[in-house]
Formats: sequence, C-alpha cells, structure tokens
Amino acid sequence: MNTFQRFLKARKMRWSDIPLWVFGMLLAVMWCAPFVWMVSTSFKPFKDIMTRNVEWFPRTVTLENYIKVFEQPVARWMLNSLIVALIATTISVMLGALAGYALARLHFPGRGILFGLLLASLMIPGEMTIVPLYVAFLKIKLTDSYLAIILPFIANVFSVYIFRQFFLGLPKELEEAAAIDGASRFGIFWRVAFPLARSPTVASTILLFTSNWNAFLWPLLIVFDEEMKTMPVGMSEFAPGIGAHTQLVGFGPAMAGITLLSLPSLLIFILLQRRFIEGVSRTGIKG
Amino acid sequence: MTPDSTMLGKILDRLRKARWQGRPINWSGYAFIAPFFVPFFIFTVGAILFGVYVSFTDWRIVGQTQWIGFKNYSDAFADPMVLKAFWNTLRYGLVIVPSVTILGFIFAVFVNQKWPGYVFARFAFYAPNVVSATVIGLVWVWMLDTQYGIVNQYLGITIPWLTSTQWAYLGVSLASIWWDLGLAFVLFLAGLQEIDSEVREAAIVDGANRLQVMLRIILPMMRPTISMVITLQLISTMRIFSQIYVMTNGNPAGASTSVIHYIFTNGIQKFKMGYSSAISLMLFGVILLVTIIQLRFVKENSYQ
Repeated sequence: MNTFQRFLKARKMRWSDIPLWVFGMLLAVMWCAPFVWMVSTSFKPFKDIMTRNVEWFPRTVTLENYIKVFEQPVARWMLNSLIVALIATTISVMLGALAGYALARLHFPGRGILFGLLLASLMIPGEMTIVPLYVAFLKIKLTDSYLAIILPFIANVFSVYIFRQFFLGLPKELEEAAAIDGASRFGIFWRVAFPLARSPTVASTILLFTSNWNAFLWPLLIVFDEEMKTMPVGMSEFAPGIGAHTQLVGFGPAMAGITLLSLPSLLIFILLQRRFIEGVSRTGIKG
Repeated sequence: MTPDSTMLGKILDRLRKARWQGRPINWSGYAFIAPFFVPFFIFTVGAILFGVYVSFTDWRIVGQTQWIGFKNYSDAFADPMVLKAFWNTLRYGLVIVPSVTILGFIFAVFVNQKWPGYVFARFAFYAPNVVSATVIGLVWVWMLDTQYGIVNQYLGITIPWLTSTQWAYLGVSLASIWWDLGLAFVLFLAGLQEIDSEVREAAIVDGANRLQVMLRIILPMMRPTISMVITLQLISTMRIFSQIYVMTNGNPAGASTSVIHYIFTNGIQKFKMGYSSAISLMLFGVILLVTIIQLRFVKENSYQ
C-alpha cells in the first residue's frame, strides 16, 4: 500500500471519490469568491475596476477607495453600529438569562402560559410590529437616538429560549447548597447559576451581536439624521438605485465600505466557528 | 419573619405559605421575568394589537385619525400593485426556497463526509449568512453589473440582470440564495450528524450502494429537518425586503418589488400608516396559512 492509498484510507475516501471531492472544494471556493472579489475591488484604482478584464488580484494596490468612502461619515456610522449592537446585545442577553432561569427553575403560576406565549410569538414575523412601532415612536417623537434604535430589540425571545433550555439541563445541587447557606434567589442566580451558563451566554451573544450589527429595516425607518445612521443603513446609500455615490465614483468606495462593514461579523464567525454553528442549529435563526 | 398581627403581616404570611400545584410558590419568579416581559408585552404583543387597530384607521402621522372600518383592506384588494407585490413575493419563493433547500442539502452531505478541507468548505458555505443585507446587495449589484460585472464577463453575455423587468427578480434571487443558503446548510448538517453512522455502515455491509443509502435511509430520516428548512425559508422569503431595497429598490417598474418593499415605499414613506398595517396583516395571514399547511403536512407524513 503506498502513501497515497493510506492517505485516502485514513480519511475514509476511495479513488472514485476524488472527482466528487474536487468538485465540492471548487464549489466551496466559488461560494467564497464574491467576498474575494469585494476585497480585491476595494483595493483597485478606478480605471482597473471599470474594465472588462477580470483580475482577481489588484495589479496596483491603492487605498484611494478607503479614503473616498470616509468622505461620508463612515467612522460615525461604524461607531453608532458598535454602540447599538453592544448595548442591545448586552441587555437582551441579561434579560434572557433572568427570564430563562425563572422559566426553567422557579415555580410560579402563569409560568407555562408565558412560555407558550413566547413560543407562539416566534411564529409572528418581526415586520408585523414595524409599522405600529414606527407610528408610536413618531407620535412620541422618539427618533434619531440610540434609545430609539435599541428599544424594540431588547426583549429577544431566542435569548430566553437558549437560557431556559440550558438551565433545564443543569443539575440543581450547587444551587440547593447555596440556598441552604442562606443565599437569596438573586444571589443564587448571580453567583452560582449564571457563572455556570457560559455556553448559552456565548451562543446568544454571538447570535444577537451579529443580528443587531446587521439590523436594517428598523434603523432605516427610525433614523433621519445622517450622523445617527448605522453602518448597514449608511452604506446602503452607495447602492446605485438609492443614493448617487456609486454613479459618481464607481464601485470602489462602495466595496471598501462594505469590506469594513462585513469585517466584524466575519471575524467573529472565523474565530468562533463551532460555537456559532452550534448556536444557529439549536435555534434555527440566522445571525 | 415572625407572624404579625397587622393586616399587611397576615397577607404577607399567607402569600409566603401559598402553594401552587402542591408546591410553594417562588414569588421572586415574577421579579426575574419582569425585565423581559414588560418590554416584550409593549414592543411585541402591544405593537401587534396596536397594528390591528391602526389598520382600521386612516392614520397619517399628522391630523385627526378616524376609524374607517375595512376600507384599507378593500383598497388593498383593489390595488393592482398589491397583487403584483404578492405575486412577486410568491415568485421569489418559487425560485429561492427549492434552490436553497436542494443546494443546502447537497452541501451538507458533502461537508458531512469530513473529507480533507471540510472545515474550509463549512466556513465557505455558511459565511455569507453572517453579513448584512447591504453587503450582499452591493456585492451582487457590482457582480451583476451589465457592462463590467464579473458574472456577465465569465458567461460572455450582457444580460441586464437588475435593470430589466424580465431579469430583475432573478438577479435578486441569486443574491438571496447566496445569502440564505447558510442557515439551511447548517440545519441539514446538524440533522445529518444525528443520524447514527452505524445505520449507514450496516446498510453498506448489506450491499447497498451510496445512492440507495441516500434515498432509502438518509432522506427518510431527514424528513423532519427538510420540512423545517422549507418552512423557515418560506417564511423568511415571504418577508424579503432588504436585499431588494439595496439592489433594485423594487425597480424597474415594480418588477422586483415584494410585499414588505411595497409597504415600505407606498405605505410608510407616503405616511399611509393604516394602509401599511392592513397589508402587513394580510401578509401575516398568508404566512400563518403557510405555517399551518406545513404543520399538517408534517403530521400526516409522520403517520406513514
């Protein structure tokens, strides 16, 4: 048996699998290609972008697109997105942990009904609440602020669900010991139960951070002030059908901007790939 | 706490001893759930109920609001653009849902082989799912550019993907498939990993070939996951908006508009709030119908 045959055997592959394997890997490379094309375009000078020659690697590397995109308040948009995503995620993870703990552990009338209501609300698309929330927020003049962008997102049902499932499976002994020592309910939760809940905390943080970072329709509606826009909304003005930027300056600055916009979520995904995929397959929501 | 003779003390004492389903009640439970349920009742339950109310009024931000009964609904039924928006949304579903389901399944089967490079393949197939609609939209507007876009360069054609009434919905669908596939892929992957590898190996020992294993064993066992993926994808496609907004803004001539996009451009932006609410409730009705049909379908299948 030669080394190549051993290599195949160790990987449970047969000779006849090789074409399939090559085809699959090519598909995977192709699936990534739009990202490569985005980054590559972002570093090309204008004349190398609007051309019929396909060049995957820029012949001359330039930062002019990045300089040009910063003529818009991109730094401010990034900061807004970061603030909004961090606050909204932190609050919804904390509220989810508290409610999830109570629904799993504490015994009180209405517990089952409330949990049923949560599950039922998952069937209702978020867009159902957009119009009435918009009407109400305009009525009380709550627009153009972090509070306005964050508020509808703080009560996240998935976060409650993830924590409830975790606490249901967690043995009670440690908490009972703390109760005998005279700790209060909140003390037990905060010092004993929550520190053990690392995996649901990480899972819901990753999921909610990316979904808050990418949120589109609500921030698009509730923000009128250019300075208060979030990055996804601000960058959408580079779409040829919406703003006039791209018609004036070509696709270079747009690609530079969305490279910056996709960086945080792609980095989190690369670093925490396994946790990310676990979280998604457990809840069935997209990041 | 010592038993107190005052009224308040008596009430507190009774609450403390109160039992529910034979066990003492943890009153602190309400304090734990309140921070979540108060905003939940306001921003989800309350918003939905308020939306139902608004749909029966001529709410326009400024001026007096009047109850107008079912007028918004009858207007919506008479509006040819509403019909078009629903028809387009259905058409998106017919293209995106089967593509995402079939491709997602094939990709998951490939990655599940754990052949060399599978970690990279898993990354590649899921990565588009984590970025924002703006990223998806702009990358594809650029790639589908009629003159300089990479897709037309490689195919050696000049299809106006996003600027013709005939192609616009397909251009948007391509981008949506690339964006949405990751979720289906990951759900299928999780489902495949739950199938005991011994079942598969036993079948191979019995002389079944790979195709037979796939058709007779894996596909039937994956039926619940397939059904879940189709339902989730169908619901998410009914709500398609952001990528349309970025890529075509519904153009040309409303050829690529969807229900939510129509609500946005012809309702919200024109301050016709009652009308917008009515259309979103109609969409909700359709989504509910789809979910119910899907649930019944799954139940019937499971008895077979």
